[in-house]
Formats: sequence, structure tokens, C-alpha cells
Amino acid sequence: MKHKKNMPSGIVDAPLETKSQDQARLDQIPSLGQNRLKIYRPNADNVGSFLRLLGQRINRHLALSLTACVHCGMCAESCHYFLARPDDPTMTPVYKADQIRRIFKRHLDWMGRIIPWWVHADSPENDEDLNRLKNVVFGACSACRRCTLNCPMGVDTGLLVRFTRGLLTELGIVPEGVFNVSRDEWETGNQMAVTEEEYLDTLQWMKEELQAELANPDVDIPVDRPDCDILYTINPREIKFDPRSIANAAKVFHVAKEKWTLPKWGWDQTNFGLYSGDDNLGGYVARNVYEAAERLRAKRIVISECGHGYRSTRWEGYNWAGYDQKLPTESVVVTLQRYLREGRIKVDPSRNQESVTFHDSCNIARSGDLVEEPRWVINRVCLDFREMYPNRQENFCCTGGGGLLSMVEYRPLRLEVAKIKADQLKATGAKLVCTMCHNCIDGLTDVIKHYELDMRVVQVLDLVSNALVIP
Amino acid sequence: MSESLKFLENEVQIAALLFMSVVYIVRLVWIFRFKFKKERTFPAGSSKAGIGYSLMNIAMPWAMESTRKKPWFYVQFVIFHLGVTAAIMATFIIPYRPSFFEVKIAVKVFQVIIGAAFLVGILRLIRRLTNPALRLINTADDYFSLILMILFFAAGVLAVRNKFRSAEWPLFLFFGLTAFFLIYVPFSKICHYLYYPFTRYFLGRTLGHRGAIPPKRAGGDRSSRAEEKGGL
Repeated sequence: MKHKKNMPSGIVDAPLETKSQDQARLDQIPSLGQNRLKIYRPNADNVGSFLRLLGQRINRHLALSLTACVHCGMCAESCHYFLARPDDPTMTPVYKADQIRRIFKRHLDWMGRIIPWWVHADSPENDEDLNRLKNVVFGACSACRRCTLNCPMGVDTGLLVRFTRGLLTELGIVPEGVFNVSRDEWETGNQMAVTEEEYLDTLQWMKEELQAELANPDVDIPVDRPDCDILYTINPREIKFDPRSIANAAKVFHVAKEKWTLPKWGWDQTNFGLYSGDDNLGGYVARNVYEAAERLRAKRIVISECGHGYRSTRWEGYNWAGYDQKLPTESVVVTLQRYLREGRIKVDPSRNQESVTFHDSCNIARSGDLVEEPRWVINRVCLDFREMYPNRQENFCCTGGGGLLSMVEYRPLRLEVAKIKADQLKATGAKLVCTMCHNCIDGLTDVIKHYELDMRVVQVLDLVSNALVIP
Repeated sequence: MSESLKFLENEVQIAALLFMSVVYIVRLVWIFRFKFKKERTFPAGSSKAGIGYSLMNIAMPWAMESTRKKPWFYVQFVIFHLGVTAAIMATFIIPYRPSFFEVKIAVKVFQVIIGAAFLVGILRLIRRLTNPALRLINTADDYFSLILMILFFAAGVLAVRNKFRSAEWPLFLFFGLTAFFLIYVPFSKICHYLYYPFTRYFLGRTLGHRGAIPPKRAGGDRSSRAEEKGGL
């Protein structure tokens, strides 16, 4: 790509790390043999493969987003990267989208094929160019889609970034963290490589804790119970780092007299396919959940608090998996709202005295449908709720979205641009920031620590559980 | 009126218009050959409402932060596109309803609109040249298209008087540029208006289906509404 020589170097120049890929090859892990997990092959024609995949995978919505941009620059100030680095023109969403757009123009559009210089059409020449593209789409964008909703033309830059990530993932040209999590998800069915034993042990532990807390030996965390009203699916992070959130959900289900279960397999509602752009991985993980619900004859799938998990399981997963939705699929926050509305649980808001603000997860507010529901619940379980500005669909990303928490090479840039989020949090004056996303918990915790803010992160279930009146 | 001007105003324009239409049809066929993704989820909102909201977005500057925070930029956008509309209308009025521009006030109204668009065009060119973020992404086509528009507006201001008896050159310039436009536009960024309804349609369809747009009002309770419709 000739143009790159004249460009400012705001984009992180991270080399392609392949240690984990080399190890996976040595270990001959099954997903490699099955050609599900892709690794980098230095001697292959990667540029040719990239261009072939580009032509094969592009759909109408993407083609329109690639052709319709008028370079007006209206998206620039919607992006937290550009707002934090206003003097760096490589941080605008349009610049990032143009890195795939110029390849599309060179190989698929009209003018770009005939007079490439006239429309900035260009082609990657080698793997170095593809690695640079990797650093743009993985390292300088959290795919939060804030620019999408601020584009007068309706260009979906978030979708273009995910699409480009998917092409690079197919060639193994990905950050090492993305490879590692994808490998774990293919190999174990969950993104943190939680074993079945660890999963069941943790659930047993939480059950015992809950029985002790409620002084009730009948409280249960059921696994693989058939014919339930709810199949509850969780984030592996809850098993690894935050099992208390499972106990909180179990407590609420117990009080609401819910007939529920967790599945033994297909319990991970998170989905790294959303971040890596790998629709095959996305479809595989989502199908595990849908088939678990079918196998156990559950009447509804409920997704624990997770932004990308909700988007993947509720919306994208059915399409990736080619699986027609059969069951209602909802966030646990909607379940909580229903319990409160129907009087199945009672709460005492005076138990949550500290001031609370709410952070909307990008995947739920902009790519999903839940903005008022969490507010409805929070307002009933705490005394001092304060809005963050901007909020709802205009909220800024926690800066850890798009899988960025797993990509250590981009961490300094991520924390630098997190200043926008830090200022937003600080302005609320709240002591607690509530979010319905496990990824946002880690993203916000990083921001709070880095910018030394006097607040901590909680989830809606934490607040509800704390305010819950045990009959 | 000279025969050559008459020929330029009629036959040449019709031929150029036909050429543009054919290229547009080919372009749309090209776009529609890309595959279409089927939606397999229950709705939580309305695709139709989403499409309507998305298409009308252009008339709702308050709906997007980018236009809400930059009202002057939005005003420029309106003026510029009103100028485009007026100039295009003039290309039909001059040859086919010349009496319209015998009314002085009509000429003045068109000159003011197109003249304002000309000034906005200059401002936009300056913006593109001075803003580093825009300079980095702008292509030769972006600059050329904008300069062409500015020239088109300038020629339009002079041409709408339709005084071919005193001087034909403003009309030659205006219709010459129009003919060039009609041929060049389908290959340039100016044809964004062809894509606009489709891009907006797909975005509105996806996000409307999910209930993300139109935005919910505070206190809204989408879950129960969607449940009533068999969604969630």
C-alpha cells in the first residue's frame, strides 16, 4: 500500500506475534486439524486469500457501507479515539474504514479498478500490509458503533471493522490474545477454558454458600434439569472471577420461585466470534446455547449480564448459526423487571444508599434494544440514581469493548483514549457505576484505576440482590 | 437562440440523462448482486418503524449528536442541497418552461438559493483543505466533485436569467457543465444520493427489528410490548 508512507503514525505498530499459534501447531490441537481455528502461514499467498475472501464474503449492507461514504468527516467527533487524540487524523472512524474501503475500491468497485489514484484505491502488497490493517481494525477501534449512529449516510463503520477482522482471522493475522481466546472457545466451548469439573465445583460451592446465607437447605443451583421455564446462561468470567453473580441470580430465582436450570454444556453465552469477526466460531458457540435449550426443553433462554454476550446470543448468533429462533431469549435484566412488575420479588431500595450511575454497554444500547429496562430496575432498588452524560445510545464505550481487553499490545492507547470515559464517570460524582456487562466491568475498572477515580463497578443483579427482601 | 445552444439544452441533455440512467441501473444491479442476509430472530421492535426513522433521519438534526452539536454545519447541508435541487430544476425549466424565468421574483429566488449554495460550497472546500483529518481521507474525486458543484452553482446563478439574446455563454457554460455532470456523476462520489436510501434502509431495518431505533422514550417498557408481539 503506497499511501501509508505519507501517513501520520498514530496507529500502533505492533508486529504479528505467533508464539501461541506455533505452540498450537506443535500440540496438534483438534480445532486446527478440523480447520476451524486458523493459523498464520508465512509462505502462503495471504494477500491473494484476503482478496478472494473479500469478494466472497461481502454482502449488500457491507457493499453499501463501502460505497456510500462521502468523506464528510461527521463521524470524527463521535469517536472516543479521535476525541482523545484530536490532532491525530488517523484516529477518525472514516480513516479506519477507508483502510478496507480502498481495497474494496481497487478490486471490486468501478473507478478504483480503472483510475485507482483518483479515488484512493489501493491494494495490500504483502503480509506486512495485512498486519498493519490488523493494527487498525483490532487496535484502534472498539467497534462500539457510535460513529454508525452519527453518520448522515448510515454507513456502518462498526460492521466494516468486524468484517475486516473476520478476513484477517481467517488468515491467522490476529493479535495473540484474539487467537488464544478463539482457540479456547473452539477447544472447550467457552472462552476461558473452564473445565466441566471446575464449572460444576464452582456451582456446588455457590449453592452451599447460598444455602448458608439464606439458612435454607432447599436452595438449589440446578444443572441440566429438563422442562424448566428458564435456561440460564452465563459468562465464564463468572465462574473464574465472579461466582457471586451466579449466587445472586440463584437467590433471585429462588425468591421468585422460578423453575430454572443451567446447562452442563452450552452455558457460555459470551462469544468471541463477535470480536474476531469469525462467523463460524460465532455460530458454533451460539448453537451450543440454542441446542442446550432444545435438549432440556426449556421455555426461555435468559442471558446473564453481558453486553457482547447479549448481542451475540440474542441477535447475531441465530444468524451466524443459520438457526431460526424458536424460544424467547432475553437478558436477565428484563427477567428482573418482570419479577418486579409482577410482584414476584420485593425490594428495599434503602439498602443501596450509595449514589449510582449507569453505564450503557455499546452492544446492548446501540446494537441491541435495552436502555430503559436497566434504568427501570435500578430506580427501584437504589435511592440515589444519577444519569451519566451522554447516555443511552450516545454513551461512550468503556474502552474495553471489541475484545480489546484481550489485546495487551493496544493497552496503552486504549487507556490513553479512555480519558473521555474517565471524564464522563467523574462528572457524575457517583460512588458506584452500574453496568449490565461483564466486559464493561473490567474495562471500567481499568479506567477507574488508571485515572484514580473514587468509584467502583457493580451490576444490576448486585443491586437487586442487595435490596432483595427475603420472605 | 442559436441552434447549437438549442441542441445543447435539448438533445445533448436528454442523451446525457439517458446515459446516467443506464449507468445508475447497472450500478444498482451491481449492488443488488451482493448477497442479502436473512434475519432469523424474533423482533423486539419494528423494522418498518426503523426504516422510516432511518430514512427521515436527514430531516431530524436533533436525532444525531453529530448534527445536533453542529447546527451551522447542518444548515450548510440544507442550503447546499437546496441549491442542488434548484440548479437541477433550472436545467428543466429553462428549455421547457422558459416563461417561468420571465418573472423577476422567480429569477431572484433561484439566484439567492443557488448563490447561497455556491458560498457554502466554497466554505466546504476550505474546510476540506484546512482540516487535517479531512485532508488525509479526501480523494481527487472528492475535491473535483466539490469544485464542479461550485462551478455549477456559479453558472446556475448566471444562467437562470435566461437572457440568451444578450449573451449565450452563461447558458452554454451551465448546460455544458450539466451534460458533463450527468455523465460523470455515476462514477463519482456525487452518486451517494443513489445509495442513501438503501444504506439507510438496511441500517433502519436491522436496528428497527432490534428495537434500537427509533430510540425509546424514557420510562418506556419495550419488554412487555415485544412480548405481546411474540418477540423477545
